[in-house]
Amino acid sequence: MIVKIKKRDGRTVTFNIEKIAQAIYKAAESVGGSDYETALELSGKVVDMLMAKNVITPSVEEIQDCVEKVLIEEGHAATAKSYILYRSMRTKAREMDTRLMKVYEDLTFKSAEDSDLKRENANIDGDTAMGTMLKYGSVGAKEFYEMYVLEPEHAAAHENGDIHIHDMDFYTLTTTCTQIDLTKLFTGGFSTGHGYLRTPNDITSYAALACIAIQSNQNDQHGGQSIPKFDYDMAEGVKKTFRHRYRDNIRRGLELLADVPDNPDIAQKCADFLSKRGLVPTLANDNGYMEEEAQLLSSYADAKVVKKIQNFAFKNAIKETDRATYQAMEALVHNLNTMNSRAGAQTPFSSINYGTDTSIEGRMVIKNILLAEEAGLGNGETPIFPIHIFKVKEGVNFNQSDPNYDLFKLACRVSAKRLFPNFSFIDAPYNLQYYKEGDPNTEIAYMGCRTRVIGNAYDPERQIVTGRGNLSFTTINLPRLGIKAHYSIEEFYRLLDAELQLCIDQLMHRYRIQASKKVKNFPFLMGQGVWIDSEKLSYNDTIGEVLKHGTLSVGFIGLAECLKVLTGKHHGESEESRELGLQIIRHMRERMDKETEATGMNYSLLATPAEGLSGRFVKMDREAFGDIPGVTDRDYYTNSFHVPVYYKINAFEKLAIEAPYHELTNAGHISYVELDGDPLNNLSAFEKVVRYMKEVGIGYGSINHPVDRDPECGYTGIIGDRCPRCGRTEAEHRKSAKERIPRIKVECSAADKT
Amino acid sequence: MEIRIAGLAEESIVDGPGFRYTIFTQGCPHNCKGCHNPQTHDPDGGRLDDTDRIFEQIIKDPLLDGVTFSGGEPFCQCKPLVCLAKKIRSFNERKLGIISYTGYTFEQLMKRSETDPDCKELLSLLDYLVDGRYEEDKRSLELKFRGSSNQRFIDVKRSLKEGRAVEADTEYL
Repeated sequence: MIVKIKKRDGRTVTFNIEKIAQAIYKAAESVGGSDYETALELSGKVVDMLMAKNVITPSVEEIQDCVEKVLIEEGHAATAKSYILYRSMRTKAREMDTRLMKVYEDLTFKSAEDSDLKRENANIDGDTAMGTMLKYGSVGAKEFYEMYVLEPEHAAAHENGDIHIHDMDFYTLTTTCTQIDLTKLFTGGFSTGHGYLRTPNDITSYAALACIAIQSNQNDQHGGQSIPKFDYDMAEGVKKTFRHRYRDNIRRGLELLADVPDNPDIAQKCADFLSKRGLVPTLANDNGYMEEEAQLLSSYADAKVVKKIQNFAFKNAIKETDRATYQAMEALVHNLNTMNSRAGAQTPFSSINYGTDTSIEGRMVIKNILLAEEAGLGNGETPIFPIHIFKVKEGVNFNQSDPNYDLFKLACRVSAKRLFPNFSFIDAPYNLQYYKEGDPNTEIAYMGCRTRVIGNAYDPERQIVTGRGNLSFTTINLPRLGIKAHYSIEEFYRLLDAELQLCIDQLMHRYRIQASKKVKNFPFLMGQGVWIDSEKLSYNDTIGEVLKHGTLSVGFIGLAECLKVLTGKHHGESEESRELGLQIIRHMRERMDKETEATGMNYSLLATPAEGLSGRFVKMDREAFGDIPGVTDRDYYTNSFHVPVYYKINAFEKLAIEAPYHELTNAGHISYVELDGDPLNNLSAFEKVVRYMKEVGIGYGSINHPVDRDPECGYTGIIGDRCPRCGRTEAEHRKSAKERIPRIKVECSAADKT
Repeated sequence: MEIRIAGLAEESIVDGPGFRYTIFTQGCPHNCKGCHNPQTHDPDGGRLDDTDRIFEQIIKDPLLDGVTFSGGEPFCQCKPLVCLAKKIRSFNERKLGIISYTGYTFEQLMKRSETDPDCKELLSLLDYLVDGRYEEDKRSLELKFRGSSNQRFIDVKRSLKEGRAVEADTEYL
């Protein structure tokens, strides 16, 4: 007689035959059975079997072994299969629980330097309370999704490194990124959830609210936040500041030169009166405001004095507005490097695009944001955020006769010192096709990391950058497909097609989850109308329809190693590999286009950025396939379509080889050029690279060069004979030898580094 | 023509304005204290290359603004450098400038030109000359394209016309 059983955790509890019967019944039910009596009868046989073995207090495992045996022996094959499957799934879940607890233990008791997990995202300090809290959530979510949410084949493909599902810890929670239209957001004011903010009234608050918008939206998404037309958005604030400063200086002039006291406030009354008639003072001074104003003021002073007051006010208002703009931009750069988001553990991943606004106000914004970047942070060090992207356009800022050419030159100078801005090219044909003169929403913009969203199959009338972004992306491990293909191109394409299908299915699976979310899940992104069309939804509406403006992207890593394993040479080394490389990536793009056409969803192809991922893939492939020369024998697979960094190649050749891929990767791309030396001493060389990028059809490019770091005081930047921070000379430094650090590379999907 | 070189930098941004194709000639008699490239001193070291081959390389790169002769001491190999410089001068698709470094002074080279037609011709083919030995106690990192403050960035065309060394303002190159 069995009275007690032993549970897994060691406790003994009273035996209950009903429990066995229920388990058997459930298994039978899942394959169409409905006979509880039989289940009970079979349970009796299990007990008999245990008694026959002379087991007095059986363990759970022993009972389950017997259940399997009885089911098979009694001819219930289908039920037995179902029972075994269920049992193994439970076992896996239990192991996972144990594993998760082990991970939690590491997170809790190990410091970041001893824990890979705590260090995997440089943007999060894994030693802090909030950083650790974020990690608990992140690893727990990943385990849960793998077990219970993902389709098993997607989970397996991710787990074994065929593909990488980015930001998996956010799989069921949110989307990647947005290009925020600040002008739209500021119109009528907005709320951050804890307080309502009025439409800002001068450049200082425009810049401050820009940061708050980035921060708030960052709390709703796991990827980056980008301002696609920063100059146009901020120009409104400059206009307002100028109006106020002009009025203030009129007031001063009246008091000093015409003895008019400021009570009643004549300057204000005058401004109000004219503004009701639609007249405001402008920097361009081309609307007749000053003439009308002169008439109003003529009753307080004679014409000559009025003229003098106006000239004084105009001149000083310009000066003060320029100064205020600089300070606002300086504050923005500082804020974006210090403010926190995402449980307080990370700075927002922010990007700003600018360069094409030719209005006086827009130009003032561009000039001052560049000067603020050039000045650097508190100790003169190079800021990491925001990522600056200067939009290059012929007729606007590219040629000597263009209105913003001076700002293009300034952008080159600042980039030569600070590594930012990067440069984007509106004239590249695949970008130019969307461009409508006078509509900044149609000017190509990039997320700092490279993401690009503009084409719109869901709504071809609105092929714009603003209010849109990527929903999610998944990356294919190209070298592995190359290895598995055993030198057969046909086999390679067969494998590639299967992988593409898998990714497309998985992206759609994820989209369906995202689509079931409601406006209330994204209080800022959707609640404040940041995402396109979300302003038409109410609190409890689902967002599936408006999300269709976003993109679903398949990315790839290691084209170079893939070519190497297929042909023996990568695309830097041989013409034929160059051809094959383009063929492969074109094939992938065509598959995306086909899916777009079939579904009306925006499927696109991404040149994946994540450097951490290239290390993960190669490690797994080395374990599986061994050291393959030129393929798995380094620490990283080469990023996307890049020519390998270890391969010595001239800048012009590298750019010419990589440019055609920019056209194919419509979800985003970037090419880097490394300059050996300080480009500040050779700006013509720097500018030449930018011009050449445009010429060969690069969409988004970045120029790297060595940046000095003083090992004693930690200053980062260009160091001449004396360190700008500690003031010591080179000879004094020599004891500790000045080191050169490579460019700080920051990644896009900040939460995801596995 | 054969030329003995220590090495090539195909896209240098530190040997003159814009992108330069820099040829480091092999062999140098100056023995400056603290020299950056002592391996270039031995006149029998380095390797032999061909000026035609180098010329073909140069014209392939659309980013280049010009060519820089460095070393080693370029004026120890005037003949092949004249041969290369002439080819560069007659190349019309793009304008390519020519700069040479030297451990001699401009005045010393002028003097030598009176008896050495190759030296004279090489000088006449240059746009700029960075002259003078490297003097370690005058080293500075803040000098554009130069190692020590005694060295001059000389506008050769103007200098030859005026018969004296005229320095160029490197800020505006």
